[in-house]
Amino acid sequence: MGRLLNTILIGVSGGSIYSLMALALVLVWRSTRVVNFAQAGQAILSTYIGYVVITHTDNYWIAFPVALVAGALAGALIDILMVRTLMKRAHSGPVAGIAPVIATLGLLGLIRAVVGMIWGGDLRQFKLPVSNHGFTFGHNTIPFAPINLLIVVTTVVVMLIFSLIFQRTNLGLSLRASAYQPEIARLAGIRVDLTRTIGWAFAGAAGAVAGMLVTPTNYLSPNSLDLLLVSGFVAAVIGGLESLVGAAVGGLILGISLALVLEYVSSSLAFPVAFVVLIAVLLFKPSGLIGAKRTRHA
Amino acid sequence: MRNLLGHSSRRFKAAITFPLIGVALFLISNRVDELRVYQGANVAVYVVAIISIILLTGYSGQISLGHGALMAVGAYAAVLSQVYWHLPVILTFVVAVLAAAGFGAILGTAAGRLTGPYLAGTTLALAVGLPSLANQFGFLGGEQGLNYDVGLPPAWLGADFTQYKWFFWISALAALIVTWISFNLLGSHYGRNWRALRSNPTAAALMGIHVGRSKVLAFTVSSGLAGLAGALLAMTISLVTPSAFPTSLSFSIVTGAVLAGVTLLTGSIVGAVVLVAIPEITGALAAHLGGSEKVTSNLPGLLTSVLLIVAVLLFPNGPQAIMKRTRKSSQ
Repeated sequence: MGRLLNTILIGVSGGSIYSLMALALVLVWRSTRVVNFAQAGQAILSTYIGYVVITHTDNYWIAFPVALVAGALAGALIDILMVRTLMKRAHSGPVAGIAPVIATLGLLGLIRAVVGMIWGGDLRQFKLPVSNHGFTFGHNTIPFAPINLLIVVTTVVVMLIFSLIFQRTNLGLSLRASAYQPEIARLAGIRVDLTRTIGWAFAGAAGAVAGMLVTPTNYLSPNSLDLLLVSGFVAAVIGGLESLVGAAVGGLILGISLALVLEYVSSSLAFPVAFVVLIAVLLFKPSGLIGAKRTRHA
Repeated sequence: MRNLLGHSSRRFKAAITFPLIGVALFLISNRVDELRVYQGANVAVYVVAIISIILLTGYSGQISLGHGALMAVGAYAAVLSQVYWHLPVILTFVVAVLAAAGFGAILGTAAGRLTGPYLAGTTLALAVGLPSLANQFGFLGGEQGLNYDVGLPPAWLGADFTQYKWFFWISALAALIVTWISFNLLGSHYGRNWRALRSNPTAAALMGIHVGRSKVLAFTVSSGLAGLAGALLAMTISLVTPSAFPTSLSFSIVTGAVLAGVTLLTGSIVGAVVLVAIPEITGALAAHLGGSEKVTSNLPGLLTSVLLIVAVLLFPNGPQAIMKRTRKSSQ
């Protein structure tokens, strides 16, 4: 029983990070109808910036907000410089449907190359902000450590902030309106371009948080977040790609099921399991567990 | 069968054109140095890979970011059939095509119901995860990989016929055959169905085209070609390892296809030449500018990505769309 509970706790901690990545993908998807594969690049760039701040100040808690702001700025910049042009130009012709996806792919390669040029390909490590030795109860030490608690708490806080913004502010209302019906939102006086930029900035910030949280227990390299991108995508699809709650739930489902498989079956099965989950969801519940019916049409 | 071979005038033209190209390639390969011959082999490999994307994306409107993984499937199938079944080389290529096509058929059945972002993400997941699986199963050789040996060139070609030239011959012949088959396939009713599907799936369905089946077929054919490209790639490096099929390989092929103008079969040669030329150009650039190892090793990736972004932003429908427009406006 204890083993099961411990596994689930570890799964929740891993799943939280997937949720954040999924949230980043969902935010962009809602505002632009593009799955932003460059998200892994934006997150890695922000995390490297956080890494530089850590090496200079020796303080994770200064680096964290810096990385977050850097992520938001990068997201906004990408929208202004690239996505706007793309939205104007690529609207007809055989490749129009896939042009945005290909552009984000190019961007991923570009950011990765630039990061590699600045910091090289060596694996780097963060100093842990809090301990990674499990909590001790009496004589028992469990695998769940302060660092995992930090991950879960930060994710919950970020999720709460986003849901407050989306449900309680005018900005959230216009974000939801432009995601739902851009033309009508524009007629209602919402500056759709601007809200889209804000959506990209939010997504960049969420991705940066995911990068800053996953890296302390891992290592940092120009493509160390590729698997996180894939997990985030799987989580987003489980949640229906459309809903913020879905992203959170999808991340937790994926995190817990991966942790269970790793603990009880085999540690080499992480990727096949994630892939099978993805295919199964797409085959049997294509709109996601939480998503709306119409999400299928890109 | 008639449909597959196309109309008789087309067949006649093809019957002349393709052997002519073959002879030209043969003459060229005798005149240039070893490095160029090797690069020629790489171009041929990329031509096959890019055609597999053109069939899929340019004609049936599906996208795949995971063709590098399908290439890996083909390469591993080829090498395993050689190591464990001792098949002759030519049959290992057949095995590569069949294995990748089978894998693609399964994937396509799941993916045939998917549209843009879902398909892109699923295939990306494949590209990121699949090659690393080889590290977890002993019989796949782990990080060191497995040796893939197509053998020395036959003796009757002469003593000064080099190994690289032999690679070039095999891959150029494969590229020619693939191009020829694709031309005929796209001219047949399958090609028409795919084009109809890409322009308007609903209208295509109303015309009696089985949308799902057509898409799965496109995915299967494309995967088989990717598998062949994978086996050819493995041949040129005589080795099959997970690191020969990185995520960036999938991205490169897509870049090549976009530069080729995703609907233009003959453009594949342009895309392939650009892909092979990029490391050469960046190498020369780095030698000229100096710069540290960090910079030089990332230059090819940078150039590829910039080309991809610029191509998508400036001519989302391929370079030939621009040419068509200028031709129209000049009239």
